[in-house]
Amino acid sequence: MKKRQLENLLKELHQEAYHWSRQCCSFDEDLAKDVLQQVYLKILEGKAIYKEKSQIKTWLFSVIRFTALEWKKKAKNTYSLEAEFDVAETEQEINAASHEELIEKLPERQKEVLLLVFYHNLTLEKAAEIMEIRIGSVRTHYDRGKRNLKELILKKTLHENNR
Amino acid sequence: MKTIDNSEDQDFQDFFSEMKAKDSAIAVPQFPRIRKSKSWGLIPIGIAASLALLAWFYRGDGSIQPLDHDVIIITLEEGQNNELQFKIESTTELESWESPTSSLLTDF
Repeated sequence: MKKRQLENLLKELHQEAYHWSRQCCSFDEDLAKDVLQQVYLKILEGKAIYKEKSQIKTWLFSVIRFTALEWKKKAKNTYSLEAEFDVAETEQEINAASHEELIEKLPERQKEVLLLVFYHNLTLEKAAEIMEIRIGSVRTHYDRGKRNLKELILKKTLHENNR
Repeated sequence: MKTIDNSEDQDFQDFFSEMKAKDSAIAVPQFPRIRKSKSWGLIPIGIAASLALLAWFYRGDGSIQPLDHDVIIITLEEGQNNELQFKIESTTELESWESPTSSLLTDF
């Protein structure tokens, strides 16, 4: 693919890419901007090469996720991606939680798969490509994520109704 | 593959739709202007400048150098009282030259 063509595609995906970057950076806008800048630099310098094996959106999201993880590691704010704890929230923590706060309460992979499927309208296969895990694992994270998010939404609704 | 496979997921659809609506109010930074790196283009200019500087530094000086002190002749001569004395003279050209060891040849 020619550089000019790639640049145009990146421009088209810029808004979605920014939101995904923000989501990968725990909704930290400044960090999201830095990560996205780094991603574009990687592409420009040829450190991240689009080989047209997958859709450009899948590839770009994968690069963003990887770069965000790198930054998190550098900032030592990492937590195990393998850890799959069930949600155990107190009533107080549910207080006045926004959508973002609710999503942040989910384990990392559950959060990622739900955002990719429901927010970015990607299939589970594409989510598996972006997250670099097997489709079976993605399904597991997807089901657990939905169950946990549903619980959180219910708790929040109950809390709001009891006010 | 279907991603949303039952009506139960409608709650999630609504949840994320609300989230998207809120996100639409967020100012997205402008797509960065990608400029071609000019560093490679500067290399030939750098080489040319270096060569020009070298040429200027080592350029031939047209001025004629004086040859007054080109050759210094130091001779050891025997004085009137048989004492030895050095005679130093400078000249623009070497009219005669005697090997310092020529006496070894002539003495034998």
